[in-house]
Amino acid sequence: MDYANRCRRIANGYYNQGLEKAKIRDLSGAAECLKKSLHFHKYQTEARNLLGLIYYEMGETAESLVQWIISLNLQPADNRAEEYIRRIQGKLGRLDAESQNIRKYNQSLALAKAGNDDLAILQLNRVVEINPHFVKAHLVLAILYMRRGDYTKAGKSLYKVLQIDKSHPKALWYMSIAKAHTGRAEVERKKLNNAFSHRQMQDDDIILPPTYKETTGWITIINIMVGLALGAAVIWFLVMPAMERQLNHLHNEEMTKVLEQVNQKSLALSALEEEKAAMEAERNDAMTNLQAMEENEQGVVLQYQRLVQILKAYEAQDMNTVAAVYSDMDTSLITDQQSAAVVEEIRNYMETEGFQVLANLGNAARDGGNQEEALSYYQKSLNIKGDNPQVIYDMALIYQAREERDQANELFGQVIMNFPNTDLASLAKEARGY
Amino acid sequence: MIDFDEELSYYKPSLEIEAIEDAIVKSDLTDMTDIMMELIKERKE
Repeated sequence: MDYANRCRRIANGYYNQGLEKAKIRDLSGAAECLKKSLHFHKYQTEARNLLGLIYYEMGETAESLVQWIISLNLQPADNRAEEYIRRIQGKLGRLDAESQNIRKYNQSLALAKAGNDDLAILQLNRVVEINPHFVKAHLVLAILYMRRGDYTKAGKSLYKVLQIDKSHPKALWYMSIAKAHTGRAEVERKKLNNAFSHRQMQDDDIILPPTYKETTGWITIINIMVGLALGAAVIWFLVMPAMERQLNHLHNEEMTKVLEQVNQKSLALSALEEEKAAMEAERNDAMTNLQAMEENEQGVVLQYQRLVQILKAYEAQDMNTVAAVYSDMDTSLITDQQSAAVVEEIRNYMETEGFQVLANLGNAARDGGNQEEALSYYQKSLNIKGDNPQVIYDMALIYQAREERDQANELFGQVIMNFPNTDLASLAKEARGY
Repeated sequence: MIDFDEELSYYKPSLEIEAIEDAIVKSDLTDMTDIMMELIKERKE
C-alpha cells in the first residue's frame, strides 16, 4: 500500500472517531479528531464539513465559514458545504448579526482583561442572549463570575456549555471549581454513594406491609381542614401571582399607551410652538420691511423737496445754497427720467465748479471760527471731488489746530503721498516735522 | 487555586466575519500526503 493510501486510511479512521464523538456531543474531542484527519488528508471533505458544523455549533461562525469555503475550493462539486453557506447567507441580516455579536465578544474579552468586569459581564450576557451556543462567551462569563465570587451564576453558564459540548475540558474544570465552592460537589458525592451503597437483601430480612387504619370522624374533619388550607395555599401561591402578573401586564400596557399619547401630544405641542416662532419671525420681518418702505418713501419725498430747493436757488444764482443742499442730497432715490436728467446737470456742475463753492463755504466757516462746520463743508467737497489737495490740507490744519494728531497726520500723509512735488506737499511735510 | 487573570489571558479574540478572507489565505493546507510526496521527490533527486 502506498503512502497516500495509508494517509487516507488514517484520515478516515480519525474522521470516524470524530463522527462518533460528535454524535455523543463531545464536540471538543470530535474537533481534535477531525483536525488530525485533515492533517493526514486535506481532501477528507466530510471531516472538514463536520469540523465546520462543530465550529458553528460552538458559536464560531467565522471559523465554520472558513472551513466550508476551503472545503468548497477543494471539492467544488457535490459538496454539502455549499448548502451550509447558502443557509447562513440566505437569512437576511443573519450574517451581520453574527458579525456584530463576535465583535461584541472581542470587546468584552478586552474589557475583562483590562479588569472592567461589570461592563464585560453586561456585554457578554447580551452576546450569549443573541447566540446561546457561543461557548467561548459562556466560558469567559463563567470566569468573570467566579472572579467576583458568584459561583452559582458561573455554574449556570458552565452548565450551558456542557449541554453544548459535554466533554469540554475547560468547562469541566471550571465546573468542578464552581461545585466545590457551592457545596454541590459534596451533595453529588453523597448521592453517588447512596446510589451504590444499598446492600444485598438477605433471606431473613422482613418487609413490613403498610397497614390499613380506620379513620375516625375527627380525622376526617382534620383532613377536610388540611384540604381547605392546601386549596387556599394553592390559590395564594399559584393563582394570585398569575392574576397579579396579568393585572400588572394590563396596567403596563395601559401606561405605555398613555405615555405614547403624552409623547404624541408633546410632539404636536413642539410643532405648534415652532410654527408660532416661525410666524412671529415672519411678522417681525414684515414689520421691518414696512418700516423701511415708509422711511424710504419719506426719504424720496425729501429728495424731491431738496431738488426743488436747488432749482429755486439755481434760478436765484445762489450757488452756495445749491452746493450746500446738493451735498446733503441722496440722488439715487430720484428715479423718474425728467428729474434724473435735471439731477445729472446739477451733478456735472458740482463736479466742475460746485465742489469749490463747498470748499469756499468751508473756508468762510473756518475764518468765522466755526471749525466743525468748516470740516463738514470740506468733507462734502471731497465727497464730490476727492483729489483736491488744498481741501485735504485745510482739513489737516484744522485737525492739527484741534490737536487731533492722528487724523491730521493721516491727511498730511495723503497730501504728501498723492500730490508729491507740490507746494502743499512741502508744507504738509513741514507740518508733520519731516 | 485558579488564577483568573492567567486563565483569561488564554482566551484569544474570535475570528471576525470580515477577517475570513485573510484567514483562508493564511491557512496552511499542507497535509501528510503532501509531506510524503515531497520526501519521495527529494529522495529520487
